Amino acid sequence: MKTKIYFSILVAAVIFVGCSKDETPQSTNPNEFSVQVNGKLVTVNNLPADTITGLTSQGQPIGAGIYAFFSLATNKWIANSDSATSNWDLAFSGTTIRVNNQTSGPGNGGAFVWVGAFDNLTSIPQDSVFRIDSHPVSYAIPKGSGKGWYNYDGVTNLLTPIPGRVLVIRTANGKYAKVEILNYYKGGVTPSASASDDIKLREQRYYTFRYTYQGNGTTTF
Amino acid sequence: MKKFYTLILLIFITLFSFSQEDSSNSKQLDEVVVTATRTERKLGNVAVPVSIINQKAIQQAGSLRLKDVLQEHTGLYITNSFGAGVQMQGLSPDYTLIMIDGEPLVGRTAGVLDLNRVTAGNIKKIEIVKGPSSSLYGSEAMAGVINIITDRSFRKQFGTGIRYGFGNPEQGWSLPFGSDAFKNADLTLQGSNTFKKLGVQFFSNASYIDAITYRFNSTDRVPQPVWRLTNQLQLAYPFSDKTKFNFSIRDGYEHIKQEFAVSNNGTVTNSYGREANNDLNINSVVSHRFSSKVKTALRLYATSYYGSQRLHFKENPDSSYIDEFKQHFYRFEDQTDVNWKKSTLTVGAGYIIDQANSTRYDDFEDRKQNTVLYGFTQYEWRPVDKLTIIGGLRYDDNKLFAAAFSPKLATRYAISKKFIVNASIGRGFKAPDFRQLYLNFTNNAAGGYSVFGTIDAVKIINELNSLGQIAELKDDFYKLSDLKPEFSTGINAGGTFIPTNKLSFNFNLFRNDIKNLIDAREVAIRSNGTQIFSYINVQKAYTQGGEFEAGYQLIKTLHVSAGYQLLFTADKDELESIKSGKEFTRDPNGYSRLLKRSEYVGLPNRSKHMANLKLTYETEKRFFATSRFIYRSKWAVANSDGNSVYNTNDEFASGFLLVNISAGKQLKSGIRLQAGMDNVFNYQDVDNLPSLQGRMIYVGAHFDFLTSK
Repeated sequence: MKTKIYFSILVAAVIFVGCSKDETPQSTNPNEFSVQVNGKLVTVNNLPADTITGLTSQGQPIGAGIYAFFSLATNKWIANSDSATSNWDLAFSGTTIRVNNQTSGPGNGGAFVWVGAFDNLTSIPQDSVFRIDSHPVSYAIPKGSGKGWYNYDGVTNLLTPIPGRVLVIRTANGKYAKVEILNYYKGGVTPSASASDDIKLREQRYYTFRYTYQGNGTTTF
Repeated sequence: MKKFYTLILLIFITLFSFSQEDSSNSKQLDEVVVTATRTERKLGNVAVPVSIINQKAIQQAGSLRLKDVLQEHTGLYITNSFGAGVQMQGLSPDYTLIMIDGEPLVGRTAGVLDLNRVTAGNIKKIEIVKGPSSSLYGSEAMAGVINIITDRSFRKQFGTGIRYGFGNPEQGWSLPFGSDAFKNADLTLQGSNTFKKLGVQFFSNASYIDAITYRFNSTDRVPQPVWRLTNQLQLAYPFSDKTKFNFSIRDGYEHIKQEFAVSNNGTVTNSYGREANNDLNINSVVSHRFSSKVKTALRLYATSYYGSQRLHFKENPDSSYIDEFKQHFYRFEDQTDVNWKKSTLTVGAGYIIDQANSTRYDDFEDRKQNTVLYGFTQYEWRPVDKLTIIGGLRYDDNKLFAAAFSPKLATRYAISKKFIVNASIGRGFKAPDFRQLYLNFTNNAAGGYSVFGTIDAVKIINELNSLGQIAELKDDFYKLSDLKPEFSTGINAGGTFIPTNKLSFNFNLFRNDIKNLIDAREVAIRSNGTQIFSYINVQKAYTQGGEFEAGYQLIKTLHVSAGYQLLFTADKDELESIKSGKEFTRDPNGYSRLLKRSEYVGLPNRSKHMANLKLTYETEKRFFATSRFIYRSKWAVANSDGNSVYNTNDEFASGFLLVNISAGKQLKSGIRLQAGMDNVFNYQDVDNLPSLQGRMIYVGAHFDFLTSK
């Protein structure tokens, strides 16, 4: 096992994003992105979150440093020109997920990570503390392998959302939602461990997630 | 595959319908072993699980390297990273001590001692002791001990052996010739004589193999030619009946040509160069018998290992990559045995100097050193013939880290002549190695991460922090402290049952509880985002299971043996986390659900089932044929559901069956001919078993020019 760990160190790369939300919108193929609504449950497929444009000299993937803004209230991908409004609830870029508050936006957003199955979260516990972003030092939804919503495997160079993690969100307008990240790769399919690094790089940063939004201001789902 | 099982079944049915004749299964209990108790004992009288692989089996299997020998043995699995390591009772290669003639081999890479370094050519037998009941051997003897005993005959003899093999895994059954075929040649010279009283023996082996590797992230085979040379000279001189002197010098050299291309986001770097490894072992033993009761042996051992890798880059001819590692190990030891009628007392003490230099430490010229002063004692009591009780303990006082105390207790009871049971409990340890203490390595080629050994990690990271180069200190940073040895408590219980002299059974149940396992953890992040790792004693784990072996002489000429190991492992913290409902996995929709205890598979890279079957056909006219079947069930290779505990929803390598066959004939003229085929069904798994060559056919001959009776 130790050799594995050693090996993992050998090939480890950190997903690292430098960013500012004021940059120009990215051009993407809209066919890749879709939203399915099934009663209260909404599933978002292939939301491109600053897909990579190259590598740093140290081999770390980099994108253009832009965000994909999303509204849980309206189920829509929000244009970058609205980044300074309360029209969006979550902003995705690489492994960073931001909520609309303070250093990230003018809204009343907040979030925390709840451990458990999505369906078992029927009401937000009374004593919950919603965190807010303190960009670029820390985020309401913590970054880092094993810290928040994902694990990064240095042996396979693959990033996998941790099962049993629900992102409990207070939206920009102070309503509540629960979100489960399902996948980080294009088409919602994680490449196999033996896939080439090229594929693993090119297909990453496409979010597939599901959520339930509670528009009436209560904390039950 | 189905066809294959039918074939095995057919063989069995045919064999079991034969009548039974004479045999030699019970003879194995009379074989003498030294490793189990550090004194010569008959196998049948030993209280701990020990097994023997003898020279005949090694020769008949056509094994060239130690790896080839061990992979066919019950309960041993050969691992694949950083060379061929051996996994014993489910423990990683780091925890098995490997010795030649009772002296440890050094020069491990990431904890693995490459079994390909040892030629099988002059092995007289291999003794394997499992579980930490082998604790009198000190560090590394946590899973067990493998002691390679070289041939030490000094009769007048001179012989040579040659073997040539070839294969072409991609061509199916057509003849494996042509430029893309793989070649394998092995040449051995050996001789011995006694001049007056001085016994002299030499052994030389040269081995060449077109080993294979694969292009990064592809299935393209790349030949990686390896040269290996081994020379050994042994001297024996009896000063008197009571005082004997033995001297041995052994030199091993390995040269691996390297040529590979790494593609990094479209930019290809072509590297070429070589890896060279050299080891030298010098061993002298003076033994003296004071009386019929008391004897002592004084052993002086020096060994060194020097491994280096030099690479040049085609695109950038001026730069080069050099990686060097040097280890020197000196040991001075005395062991005295006192024999009474019903008991034996063993007392010993020794001093070890262990030194290392590496380009991956802070300064290659700055030699790191640990010294160990140790003592051990063992008392064996035989109140009646049927019963043996052994108690032993060893104390290692390390200069660099905490002392280690390893006790053991073992007992054996002969219920009848046909049924012997034994049980043992012991504690073994593995000292932190130099890498875990001193590594100071930043890999600029792969992301710029760093690994620091624990001795300087805190100092270096604090310095970087004061320079504003640290973005985040992880929780594990505050846990960094002096590394403690890793400990394992092992319990083994088993027995031998020989109902008739044609049939024998061996079984052993084991449980190893390991604590203080050293793990590499991320302790800090630099401002530029790169990770810093160091080592912490964190994990608790267990391995447990059972081992079963049977031998049956079907007819006079045909012997069947079979072995099986069942293995369960777990990281105890992970297990606790699952039991308390904190671990989840995903259903086919990708939605999270609770992970069940029954889905947990424990430590990765371990197979639950391993089995082997061996048929040996031997005639009085000295013809033999063998077929050996080696099976390993699936094992976890990657965590694909993201929960970081290995479970049935993760990625597994598929189980496989290897079949090797061989046949040979001893001619009267002192010539032995042999041919065989390894990996008959050409099994390959590029991703998970990259070093498994495809089908290989070989022919060989051994000539004895001069043999005195």
